[in-house]
Amino acid sequence: MKGRDTLLALLIPAVILTIWYVVSETGIIPVYLLPHPGTIFHSGALYIFGTPGQGPYAGRFLNDFIASLGRVLLGFSIAAALGIPLGIMSGRVALVNRLVSTTINGLRAVPGICWLPLAMIWFGIGIKTTVFLVAMAAFFPIYLNTLTGARLIGPIYFQAGAMLGVSRFRSIFAILIPMAMPNIIAGLRLGMGISWAYLVLGELTGVPNGLGAVIMDARMLGQIDIIVVGILLIALIGRMCDRLLFFAMRLCFKSAKRLT
Amino acid sequence: MTSLTGKILKAPDESRKSFLEIADLSHSFAGNGRDRRILNHVSFSIARGELVCLIGQSGCGKSTILNIIAGFLRPTSGHCLLEGKSVIGPGPDRCVVFQEDALFPWLTVRENIAFGLKSGSLSLKGHFEEVDRFLELVDLQGYGDYLPREISGGMKQRVALARVLIRSPQLLLMDEPFGALDAQIRENIQELLIKLWQKGSQTILFVTHDVQEAIALADRVLLLEHDSRQIREELVIPLDRPRDRGSEMFQAYCRQLRQGL
Ligand SMILES: Nc1ncnc2c1ncn2[C@@H]1O[C@H](COP(=O)(O)OP(=O)(O)OP(=O)(O)O)[C@@H](O)[C@H]1O
Ligand SMILES: [Mg+2]
Repeated sequence: MKGRDTLLALLIPAVILTIWYVVSETGIIPVYLLPHPGTIFHSGALYIFGTPGQGPYAGRFLNDFIASLGRVLLGFSIAAALGIPLGIMSGRVALVNRLVSTTINGLRAVPGICWLPLAMIWFGIGIKTTVFLVAMAAFFPIYLNTLTGARLIGPIYFQAGAMLGVSRFRSIFAILIPMAMPNIIAGLRLGMGISWAYLVLGELTGVPNGLGAVIMDARMLGQIDIIVVGILLIALIGRMCDRLLFFAMRLCFKSAKRLT
Repeated sequence: MTSLTGKILKAPDESRKSFLEIADLSHSFAGNGRDRRILNHVSFSIARGELVCLIGQSGCGKSTILNIIAGFLRPTSGHCLLEGKSVIGPGPDRCVVFQEDALFPWLTVRENIAFGLKSGSLSLKGHFEEVDRFLELVDLQGYGDYLPREISGGMKQRVALARVLIRSPQLLLMDEPFGALDAQIRENIQELLIKLWQKGSQTILFVTHDVQEAIALADRVLLLEHDSRQIREELVIPLDRPRDRGSEMFQAYCRQLRQGL
């Protein structure tokens, strides 16, 4: 069953790759628009495994990867650290919700990209701008999903907790968070996905390293193969981060393991 | 029939030392711009060790009374005294088996039962044994590691029962706990409850809308009337346990109670 699922998941990528191969081989799409898969494979291998002297991008991957991952994790952590507690409070305390919901929904209506110019003025070009954008974008799905999860918990569970001797404060950890866990995880996963999108946006502004920076750099030098390599790597890493996040949550929380 | 009516007492027996005393309890829920009165000067009392059934039509306020006694709800007016002390919130002396399923879905049967013990969690050897003892008590040995979603409705209610019994509360509040079960299982669990009650020293207030269930379980049945929103009748059931549901007397009590409804 598991093997069949994996095969099924790989079906579409395999079909795309085949079509891509055919259109490149036959010249239907010229290679200056979309490089041949073989070229991509070669450039990718050089980018990841090469040593610096071998070409302009050879061997830079590890540095870029670490830089980007650090920015994503930092921004994502900030978003989670703000989004989860605020979501819980808004979901359970009507007063808090009334206080913050207008503001937060107003901010949410602003497309994330609008913050870019402002962030560049505030933080200059570099890691801070990127982290700010990532945190800003990841905050909303985390906040909103946590809020929904917290709000949906029936009063009966808190009553059951109270009668079983759980104090109001402890019930946040003993009842509220486990009950809201499926929603919290959904929010975190959405937030993680959007983090990678905004990472690239933040890195397009001229930071020296990072996966987004490489893509931008390659565009200026006309290295379309590196652009495609960058895109593929981000897709792959984004997917892996999502799986890792899910796995880590299930490992750390009983409720995550049993309710999702 | 007339010989039975002698058992009806219009006023609670004053001589009985009351363990739980409900005095002049009224409650209104705000809704649609005006208050809806759900309980209207309800009074009754329960002695220590008694098993009392509270019966009434759906929506007459049975759960509301239970919620007030449990301390989940503050009454609009009136008193609820437990051993002479006013109930102001949930406390370790009272536990509820809810009408709906209220087990924690992310905890196994065993963890649900141990939840009330806390302070040290399951890892303690002593706790583990105690939880197993209660699992056995409600006839669920072997199901300790199941999640609530993996067991049947009847089993869930037995877990809910074990989870409160392990705290040995003085007063057990049960809100139509077996309402969703089929007749056979229901009778089995009722017998189980009687057995547990006879062994322990609990006082039980058992809410139901099923006449048979009330007669099968109760020392005394209180009838909460929908229209007046008061306790209208009180029926003492002096039958010996275990009670034979087919017997003439049992049926007579059922008829009598049904007339009251
Ligand atoms: N939180 C609430 N807010 C407003 N009205 C409520 C609330 N809880 C209960 N009510 C109303 O109070 C009345 C009594 O409700 P309650 O749940 O006590 O009935 P019940 O006797 O337990 O009924 P059932 O046998 O169906 O469980 C109902 O008409 C219900 O609409
Ligand atoms: Mg009810």
